[in-house]
Amino acid sequence: MASAAPPLAPQFDDVEQQRDASKLGIWIFLATEILFFGVLFAAYAITRVNHPAAFAAGSRLTDVSLASINTAVLLTSSLTMALGVHAAQSGTPRATVGWLAATVALGTAFLVVKAMEYRVDYIEHLVPTVNFFYPGPQSGQVELFFYLYFVVTGVHALHVFIGVAVISVIAYMAWNNTFSPEYFTPVDLTGLYWHLVDIIWLFVYPLLYLISRS
Amino acid sequence: MTQHPATKLRGYLVSWCVLLALLLVTLGTAYLPLGWVNTAINLMISVTQAAIVLLFSMHLRSAHPTLRIVAASGFFGIAILIGLSLTDFLTR
Repeated sequence: MASAAPPLAPQFDDVEQQRDASKLGIWIFLATEILFFGVLFAAYAITRVNHPAAFAAGSRLTDVSLASINTAVLLTSSLTMALGVHAAQSGTPRATVGWLAATVALGTAFLVVKAMEYRVDYIEHLVPTVNFFYPGPQSGQVELFFYLYFVVTGVHALHVFIGVAVISVIAYMAWNNTFSPEYFTPVDLTGLYWHLVDIIWLFVYPLLYLISRS
Repeated sequence: MTQHPATKLRGYLVSWCVLLALLLVTLGTAYLPLGWVNTAINLMISVTQAAIVLLFSMHLRSAHPTLRIVAASGFFGIAILIGLSLTDFLTR
């Protein structure tokens, strides 16, 4: 069944210390990711404070139903990822592969829905510098909203894409019995990354799609 | 780490249900005409959802303090970045 004692690198006293070091490493990376998206949220906050009406108008043009479905999809993928990590930790490789495959499927579904959304945005002339046209007042400021919309959702989608790719590799490793209750660090760390991408979306969703819906 | 596996699994399922319920609340309240309060409610719900994911899915509830400090440092950085920027733009 589950193979391989965990390879212990020479700089560590024991397996637990090695695992803690890996976790600390991924959390430092995640903190830089939070700051990376933080800059975008700061740009958003400043622009919205300066042009509240234009942001309300822009937000009403986004597709709230597709975005809401995508939020539910991403939250569910976070659950399947957590179950995948749990399965790896419990030494059940088949279950691990199953949950990770479900996570990959849900992540891919998120990207497909996102692409559908972008397609509608293109048809409705909402893509800045490509074909943006807004007939109402403050068209330049509404375009600013859509710049932020595409940069934020685009960079987030890139993170989802990277996550799907990494989880696929991890699932393949699980398929080959790489993990055991003593060694499941790659699954654990990938899970932490995936949950963070989920958290970022939890802020992107209301800030872009839910302004002034009433 | 020391948690019983079944408790942990139930934690994941319960937090998933709560997260989906909060999604419905944040979506539903967005259609009430409350002005800036809408955004305040949305953000409070987002913070609650993020806290659930951080504590349960990402295991910060039972994590070493070093990990919690590193995790908090990123959010602290954003708070300074946005907070101090807005002291300018909100007071012009």
